[in-house]
This record gives sequence, C-alpha cells and structure tokens, in this order.
Amino acid sequence: MNNSDGQNNENYDDYVKFVEKNFAVKSIAYGLIPESILSKSDKSDLKNYEASFQNYITKTIYNLSNNATSGEIKLIDIDLKDNIYQINSKIIDGRDSINLYWKVASINSSFKILDVIVENTSYFVTKKSEFSKILRKNRGDIRKLTEEINKI
Amino acid sequence: MLNENEVNPSVQYDEIYDPIEPINRAILGFNFFIDDVAIRPVIKTYKFIAPEPVEKGVSNFFGNLREPIRAIAFVFQGEFLKSLNSAGRFTVNTLTSLGTFDLASRVGMTKNETDIGLTLAKSGVSSGPYLVLPIIGPSNLRDFSGDVVEFFIDPVSNNLPNREYVSIGDGLNARAEVDEEIDLIRESSSDRYEMLKSIYYQNRNSQIEEDFVQNLPTPKIYIE
Repeated sequence: MNNSDGQNNENYDDYVKFVEKNFAVKSIAYGLIPESILSKSDKSDLKNYEASFQNYITKTIYNLSNNATSGEIKLIDIDLKDNIYQINSKIIDGRDSINLYWKVASINSSFKILDVIVENTSYFVTKKSEFSKILRKNRGDIRKLTEEINKI
Repeated sequence: MLNENEVNPSVQYDEIYDPIEPINRAILGFNFFIDDVAIRPVIKTYKFIAPEPVEKGVSNFFGNLREPIRAIAFVFQGEFLKSLNSAGRFTVNTLTSLGTFDLASRVGMTKNETDIGLTLAKSGVSSGPYLVLPIIGPSNLRDFSGDVVEFFIDPVSNNLPNREYVSIGDGLNARAEVDEEIDLIRESSSDRYEMLKSIYYQNRNSQIEEDFVQNLPTPKIYIE
C-alpha cells in the first residue's frame, strides 16, 4: 500500500491514527510559531499548516519506528508540574538504555503528548528553532513554512 | 549555587548567539561533503562488518582514554568523589582489558560525563558564539576553549605514541556512535544547520542544568 507521500508500508495508516489519537498536534504545531505570527495569519493558512505538520510528525514517527531496534520501555516515574505530566521512562535493549521523557497533558478528557525528549533532545525545542529560522527567512509567512514542511 | 529564581548565564534556550552564521553554514556544508565522500562510507562499512561487541569494545576503549581528563575536570569542579571515581574507573578498566570492557560499571563505579568546557560552564562562563569547526562539528567558544585546554593537559593522549592516530580513531568512533542520529538529521530536517545547533545546545545544557527536562519550554495548550 502506498500513501500520497510515497510511504509504502501497510502500517502507515495505523501511524496516522496513532498520531491523531495520542499527540496534541494543534498545540505542538501552534506552539512552534511565535504568537505574533499566529495572530496575523489567515485561518485557512493555519489549517493548512496544521494539516501539513500532522503529516510531517506522522512521517517522522513512522521513520523513527522503522529504524528503531527492538527494546522495551520501562516506566521510571511520573511528575506533575503546571498541569503537565512529565513521564520519565527508559528504552531498554539488552545492556543499553536510552532516556525517554514524555510531556503529556489532559486535553478534552484524554491524555495527549506535547513533547518527546529522547536523550535530552526535545522534539518541540528542536523543531521550534528550525521553524523559527524558516519564518525569519520568509518574513513570518506561514505559507512558506508549510511549503518547506511539505518538501521533507 | 543558583536558586530557582536565578537564570544560569551559561544556559541558553531561545536565540542562540550565532554572529558568524554564514561562515558556520559554509563549514557545515564542507563537513557534510567530507562526511558524504569519505567518512560516512567508512562508518557504514565498519558498522556493517564489526559485530556489536567489537563496536562496544572500541567505544569503551576511546571512552576510557577520556577518564583521566574527566578526573581532572571534576577536581576543578570541586567534585572530588567523582574525580576519584573517574580515576578508579580508568585504573580498573585499563588493567583488566585495556579499556575495552567496562568492568568498573559492573562493580558500581558508574561513568560520569564531564569535560573542561562543562567545568567552565558550571563556573558561570557563558557559551559565547556558536561555532562549527571543520571536521569536528558543532561547538561554541567556551567548549572549543575547553577542548584546547584538554589537548595540552590530557595526561593520557600526551603520553601516547602516534597521538594523531588515536585522535582520528576517537573522532571516527564518536561519529560512528551518532551515525543513526546523523541519518535522521539528513532525512527529517528542514534546516539541518538549525537542527544540529539546537541538538548541540540541548545536550550541553542537559549536562549543565540539573532540572533540564523540567525547565524545557512546553507548548501552550490549544483545544484540539
């Protein structure tokens, strides 16, 4: 099965559903954009950006899971700060382990992931710096950012 | 010691000071070119041929060579127990397996990462401008200064014959250790320069700040 972006894995649709169900896509997507740009952007441009971002994050997770080695996730502890749950876990593969933190919030009475921090690298912080650069280069034009995301 | 209301001047989150970005970008382009034509094929072949225990042994060997400099850096940080631990780890692992097997960890002497750049950061020295060094990669003025100091005071490397070969091996091993991450940056980044810069600073900040994860910015919540 091929999707529109050339992903030829039967499971890709499962990843789409997984992201829809478990990730706070709108919060992450809007959080990556400065408030000043959000407030001046056209609603339809924002919708397009959000849809492109959802596709982008799905592809990223899909590629990551296909490259990942087998291993189990062990829960270490959960902390609550400013209504955001911070889940500390480890991916354990034999004697090796990787630190994995999740920032999760209760949105519309279901838990959604706001950020994933792998070995001290936050997805949100990394993407924010990338997207900020693209926006600065294009005078805050969110349509250009959407185009760039669609190219990846 | 900083209290929770103070900001550690050595930690950066938002705008990273990058006054020579065009030069840095050019050097990064050069580094990726060298990586494409020379380093990456070597690393891919090595990772394909070498069994995992061999890779692990090589990684342990080069990691062990850094223990004495860690011991020195911990002394400058006033962390005397950690310094002794690093010295002990070097002794145990060198005597038992020339550093290829991390027996010290098995007997409770766990590895603690540090270097002279982190020592400077913990003393409150700010990072200075972001730098991309030819071949070596991301750094900043503070960390590069730390590397230069290490080059002159490292008791192991300074006493090894053919130090340059050890340095090349160490560099290739470091590159092999982040091979999957580099592939991911190539595949998933809209701007690999910005991505690498952000990852570099987050990793360094995590070593400087105790509550690094808690203090990371989090998105504002929008109703989905």
